[in-house]
Amino acid sequence: MPEAIEIQLKKGALELCVLALLHQQDNYAYEIAARLADAIGMGEGTIYPLMRRLQTDGLVETYLVESPAGPPRKYYKLSEAGKRSFISQQTAWNLFSSAVEDIIGGAK
Amino acid sequence: MTRQAFIARLREGLRGLPPQAVTDIIADYDTHFADGAAAGRTEAEVADALGDPGRLARELRAESTLSRWREERSPSSAAAAVFAVLGLGAIDILILLPILMGVGGAMFGFAIAVIAVFFAGGVVFAAGPFMDLPGGAPAALLAGLGLMAGAASGGAILSLISIGLINALVWYGRLHYRLLKPALES
Repeated sequence: MPEAIEIQLKKGALELCVLALLHQQDNYAYEIAARLADAIGMGEGTIYPLMRRLQTDGLVETYLVESPAGPPRKYYKLSEAGKRSFISQQTAWNLFSSAVEDIIGGAK
Repeated sequence: MTRQAFIARLREGLRGLPPQAVTDIIADYDTHFADGAAAGRTEAEVADALGDPGRLARELRAESTLSRWREERSPSSAAAAVFAVLGLGAIDILILLPILMGVGGAMFGFAIAVIAVFFAGGVVFAAGPFMDLPGGAPAALLAGLGLMAGAASGGAILSLISIGLINALVWYGRLHYRLLKPALES
């Protein structure tokens, strides 16, 4: 039975993870979903509402790439605003997680 | 669930959205099934990993409605945004409803009052000069103009406040999306 805190933690981290993956390289939704599903155990379907939201917010952009088999594939890339947002969220996350780690580690 | 059943339920849940948005969304999930098949997964496995199409449709609808609210500040897009947020089940409606109704009622009352003051100003402006009011005709004209101007600015402030309130509700709803819940519960 998942705890509420686990849901909240994953939800908070999901957007940051997507931005981080796209910061490394442009990618398509299936690949992003597969990597995150393995790593943090999210439902693969939830990637699409999230990608649409990031697109609405102007953090990601899409472009089509011809694929050897089948229709052209839709790739996502970070916009300039997306890069800035990732850098600031990454900094905030690092500060926060190391502070929490200090406290939790000290409680052993 | 088969690919066809999943897409059918998704399409059903997306009814009412602009056709272009529905086409885009369906294409996304269709591609996902195709990629899954290419990676050697069965349709049932892919559908399972995707989660409940009904729930996904609600979230996608909410996203689409909220972006319409952002682009176009109109009473209908405001109402759609409020209902989309409520439809997410993100907010405990039993707690929120009395507050929403109270706030909504108060805003409605203010709106009526603003309209009434505006018309009263119009009456003073038009009829005042012919009545024997203290200060004479110029004072009545000015008072009428003043009332109407006051009502107009009151109305402007009122719409700014309503836009702010709806934005706050949308922000709150987004914050509480239960995006991950179905995946964690399964």
